[in-house]
Amino acid sequence: MAEFLEDPSVLTKDKLKNELTAHNVPLPSGEHKKEVYVQLYLKNLTILNNKKIPPVDTFSSDEELSTPVVSNRSRSGRKATKKTDKPRTEEVEVTELTDEDLKQQLAKHGVDTGPIVASTRKVYEKKLQKLLDEPAAEPGAPTDVTTLPKADSNQNGNTNSDNYSDKEDEEIPAPELEPVPVVEKPTRSRGKAPVTVRTSSRRQTKVVEEVVLEETPKKASKSVVEDILANEISTPTGISATCRRPIRGAAGRPLKPSEYWLDESRVQRTVHTESRTYAEMYSQPSSAVCSSKAPARRGFLSLLLKLLLLVLVCGSLYYAYQNLSSDQVDALKGLLDNVVIPVQSAVETAANYLGFSSSGSSAIVAPDN
Amino acid sequence: MPMMTLQFDLLRGGLCKLSRWISDTAMSSTSQKHKEFVAEPMGEKPVMALAGIGEVLGKKLEEHGFDKAYVVLGQFLVLKKDEELFRDWLKDTCGANAKQQRDCYGCLKEWCDAFL
Repeated sequence: MAEFLEDPSVLTKDKLKNELTAHNVPLPSGEHKKEVYVQLYLKNLTILNNKKIPPVDTFSSDEELSTPVVSNRSRSGRKATKKTDKPRTEEVEVTELTDEDLKQQLAKHGVDTGPIVASTRKVYEKKLQKLLDEPAAEPGAPTDVTTLPKADSNQNGNTNSDNYSDKEDEEIPAPELEPVPVVEKPTRSRGKAPVTVRTSSRRQTKVVEEVVLEETPKKASKSVVEDILANEISTPTGISATCRRPIRGAAGRPLKPSEYWLDESRVQRTVHTESRTYAEMYSQPSSAVCSSKAPARRGFLSLLLKLLLLVLVCGSLYYAYQNLSSDQVDALKGLLDNVVIPVQSAVETAANYLGFSSSGSSAIVAPDN
Repeated sequence: MPMMTLQFDLLRGGLCKLSRWISDTAMSSTSQKHKEFVAEPMGEKPVMALAGIGEVLGKKLEEHGFDKAYVVLGQFLVLKKDEELFRDWLKDTCGANAKQQRDCYGCLKEWCDAFL
């Protein structure tokens, strides 16, 4: 691959023309200023120095160059090199990116990367792959999916829940549940792919995974009961017959819940689910924390007590130090002596009993001052 | 005033013991290995001195060239002390489970906080 000049103005006009024709760049007819040829050179040839052709909306420094390149390509009919042909492929193939490009791609997703060296490359590739896969997964859908099939399976005995849990991105988005997508992903795929769980919401589910997997069966049973109850309560006519809920988006029904009489129940259900998921989201970290630190919790209370005691002792010491020269100290000393003397006598007797010499303890016998 | 100084000495000794006891209670969720590692500069300690890294994992790390604890520290620093990345790397390199990853990361992080 020939290296093209960054600053073609160092070449003469003729040389520029020759270079351009050599690379099948159509020249404007007639004589033009050198600047024209310089620009042509820059647009068509220098751009090929770069490893890839960036998309037009990003990489602002290359913005002007990319559009003419595209048009030139189509005009000249030159066989495009693979860099300009499929920019999307380059984005998707993380393993083929250079270190620099990997770094740029990660920066695009807001990831502050360190140096990409041999030992760190693989980790960053995986991270980028995960980031590229995530937006395609439609994270807003899962909880709705879990509630709908559960209720349906209870009423109709079908086993659609398994099918729904496989499909990540085909379900109806629930706008009010968007804040809780990542946590709900493991809930969704509970029975099926633990691998998916791990790769999708790694940070939270690494520790919380077991907790979530434990909780989801409970959640499933609870939510079904609650769904039925909610349905019973909200029915205006008081009829508690649980008929099949109309499928959203089917038979021309709008995706958003509108004026159906079951709408209330659905909204309530979603509200229930929402509150439950929020509670779950908050309880999960705390439960994870609890489960991993339950033994330390007991120690924490006693730690608090000890700290309090320490503060008290320090405070009293400081107070005593401040009042070192006052008469209060003498009074205190008197008090202390009253306390200490019996203690020391006990120590002395113990020492005598044990056969130690009491000469040391005689120094701490009753004070004379 | 010999009495007073003696009392102060007793108090001071008592306070020292109390503070050590408090710190021990606070760190009771970390293992002995962790405490030992974090207590001093790692020097030439082997990779198995890291918390969470036992014989099996240590051997695997050594096969990949990470034969001393400071080499793993190097990797940790190159990943900018990021928890997720380091844990991923650890899992990929030696197959550590979640607890082992957590212990190792915590150990290195605390060491860095103390000595770096």
